[in-house]
Amino acid sequence: MLKNYIKIAWKVLLRRKFFTFISLFGISFTLMILMVATAMIDHVTGSHTPETHLDRTLFINFIKMTGKKQGSMMNTTPSYYYLTHYVKTLKTPEKISISSVFKGVNSYVNNKRLSLDLKYTDAEFWEILEFKFLEGKPFNRQDLKNANKVAVITRHTRDQYFGAGVSAVGKYLVADGIRYQVCGVVEDVPISRFNSYAHLWVPVSTANINKADTGLPGDYNGIILAKSASDIPEIQAEYQHIVKQIKVPDPKNYDTFSSYAEGILEGMFVRQVFGDRYTGESGMGKFIAFVTLIVFLFMLMPTINLININVSRILERSSEIGVRKAFGASSRTLIGQFLVENIFLTLLGGFLGFLLSALALQLISNSGIIPYAQLTLNWRVFGIGIGLSLLFGLLSGVIPAYKMSKLQAVEALKGGNL
Amino acid sequence: MIRHLFTLIWNRKKNNFLMITEIFFSFIVLFGVLSLAFYYIDNYNKPLGYQHDKVWVMTLRWNQEKPKEVKEIQGRLQQQLKSNPEVEGVALVSSNVPYTMQQMSGDFHHNNRRTQSDFFQVDKDFAAIMQLKIKDGRWFNDQDQNSKFNSIVITQSLRDAVFKEEPVIGKVVAGMSGDDKNPKNKIIGVVEAYKQKGEYSEDKPGFFEYKYLENAADSTWVPFNSVLIRVKPGVTSAFEEKLMKQASQVAKGWTLEIKSMNEMRISQNKLALIPLIVFSVVCGFLIINVALGLFGVLWYNISRRISEIGLRRAIGAASGQVYRQFIGEVLVLATFGILFGMVVAAQFPLLQVFGVQTGVYIAALGSAVVIIYALAAGCAAYPSLQAAKIAPATALHEE
Repeated sequence: MLKNYIKIAWKVLLRRKFFTFISLFGISFTLMILMVATAMIDHVTGSHTPETHLDRTLFINFIKMTGKKQGSMMNTTPSYYYLTHYVKTLKTPEKISISSVFKGVNSYVNNKRLSLDLKYTDAEFWEILEFKFLEGKPFNRQDLKNANKVAVITRHTRDQYFGAGVSAVGKYLVADGIRYQVCGVVEDVPISRFNSYAHLWVPVSTANINKADTGLPGDYNGIILAKSASDIPEIQAEYQHIVKQIKVPDPKNYDTFSSYAEGILEGMFVRQVFGDRYTGESGMGKFIAFVTLIVFLFMLMPTINLININVSRILERSSEIGVRKAFGASSRTLIGQFLVENIFLTLLGGFLGFLLSALALQLISNSGIIPYAQLTLNWRVFGIGIGLSLLFGLLSGVIPAYKMSKLQAVEALKGGNL
Repeated sequence: MIRHLFTLIWNRKKNNFLMITEIFFSFIVLFGVLSLAFYYIDNYNKPLGYQHDKVWVMTLRWNQEKPKEVKEIQGRLQQQLKSNPEVEGVALVSSNVPYTMQQMSGDFHHNNRRTQSDFFQVDKDFAAIMQLKIKDGRWFNDQDQNSKFNSIVITQSLRDAVFKEEPVIGKVVAGMSGDDKNPKNKIIGVVEAYKQKGEYSEDKPGFFEYKYLENAADSTWVPFNSVLIRVKPGVTSAFEEKLMKQASQVAKGWTLEIKSMNEMRISQNKLALIPLIVFSVVCGFLIINVALGLFGVLWYNISRRISEIGLRRAIGAASGQVYRQFIGEVLVLATFGILFGMVVAAQFPLLQVFGVQTGVYIAALGSAVVIIYALAAGCAAYPSLQAAKIAPATALHEE
């Protein structure tokens, strides 16, 4: 039966090639744009090297102080002091790393400036994140203890500073007026990976940190690795317990202190944009509603278009419907047939959409809009795409199929109006 | 004729409903994207207010020095940089220099009027380095150091927003403190414009606050995070390394970064245009989609009405009349969609949703109407031509 329906669908597709082209164009381009958007989001928040264990990694990127009465708010990255005193003491996590927000520094080769982003990290940083080492290795606890001036650099930095492909380990590089010995070279990291991105990483013990400064705001980040994904709620609870005990440093202006250990999507993006100013509400619900609305509105137009075309196409086949009705086909059978046809068409469009999006992602990756980003279609994105295609097929198939099934046999045979 | 067409479409509103909805949505999308485009064009055509060519920006990050020591080093740094023959001038400024993401802003009060305003902390050399155009009054000079007031220079857009037609030079106002009884800021000049975020951004209200290193009053903090260096024509980036070496000898252990403002401008403008490019691509795709759909449906509808056309032709309608009728029908259809769209779109200028100038919305509205009509007429042209070509005999024969 299904085979027959698909055969019929194929014949119908070939009959009016222009309509088929319009339908396929609509589906495939809509899907392409949605897929590119999903790939972008996945690129920023999904598990990719070096952040490979995102299912059990938490980030502490912000501390927030608010004063409801004064309407004041301060949302900033925490200080080294805060992270060592309040975060490092957590008991449940497997590993905790402290690294700085990257800062731009200058370096000169042959009278040419090289603008580099530098990040101070500890030894745990290299254990939690899995960088792809092209040569050498990361610096270790001993380097950190001795405050050795060593650096891990990216492939791009190496190619610019020492020449393309030239081995750099053991050589010296001057950045920010300081001479570092290169101990490792890693694959480039895209800037969208805020927590791991840099052009060169150096031991945090070489940074000028004022030991006497006990202020909470600063420019450091914490990365926490849990033993397993199921430990995450426990770590978050332990962290909240600590956060509750922290006294607000400036009680005249602020009355509440808050900070969260969260994943990238929730902590870095959703909470910053949609989160509630005063309560601990992360805004995830608002975010999901917002995204759903956008996707729905975006898909609405191609869907209306498809409905329009499907109505026309089905009318064209009214005599066929009339005959089938006269021979006793029930409305349900007919709806079934047209839904199958439509889903077949949508999946075909979906397939074309995948090819198009692969092409588009390739173009975006090569254009260098996002430095060092390689956008790829992965299975998660593929699954979302298939789901959307089916939703599409149902949305645009149900209405015409329903209308058609209500036609009386006689009227249908006469070529009646819907 | 036109009334007749309206009745015709209205009578078949159930059939035409989906097409009208489609036109309605494309109108809204088009209106949105065009508003953004016109907003950018409008901003781009207004004066920038400064010259970014030949200006280099050095950012300073110090370590644990006390404010007094930092200022002392900054003073020596300024002297050292100035002493190079390649350098035309040096100015110390706060971190929110043009083409950065940095922003400092607050509420600017005067009597009952207030507006959100940016502020920039600069020294007396800033105007010469950035080549600001003074419209009224004067720029800061040494006599401001002895003033008991806090000298400020405002931008024309701040003057328009808060002072309207009032004379402003010499006026003492509350400014950011909001303390109307004890105002401390004295306006000494007005500059033409200052678009800190670059060509495509709005000329937001803003003012410059005079700061100098020797000021004992702000001994607890340092107002300057950057140095602007204007180099003489013909100086290339090879000079940078020498400059950096000098600077790091004066400011030992500081993190110094140098960039040319031109470079910063290129990357900032690229960033500013990304939303417009993304929206245009998405909008373009939706419009093509709608156009194809419209075309297909019209074509199909006309082929269904062959007998009607044949009859009309048989009783004497010229083919031009048939052609005009079909085009007319589609335009009426588009009119319905546009009317609904207008109702929604008109809310933006009426409610001042994004605080954008009404002129931008009107231009976007007008262009969207023209584009939708052109699109509808274009899609209808070929099917209508087919309809007009139908010979009465063939059509009636088919029936």
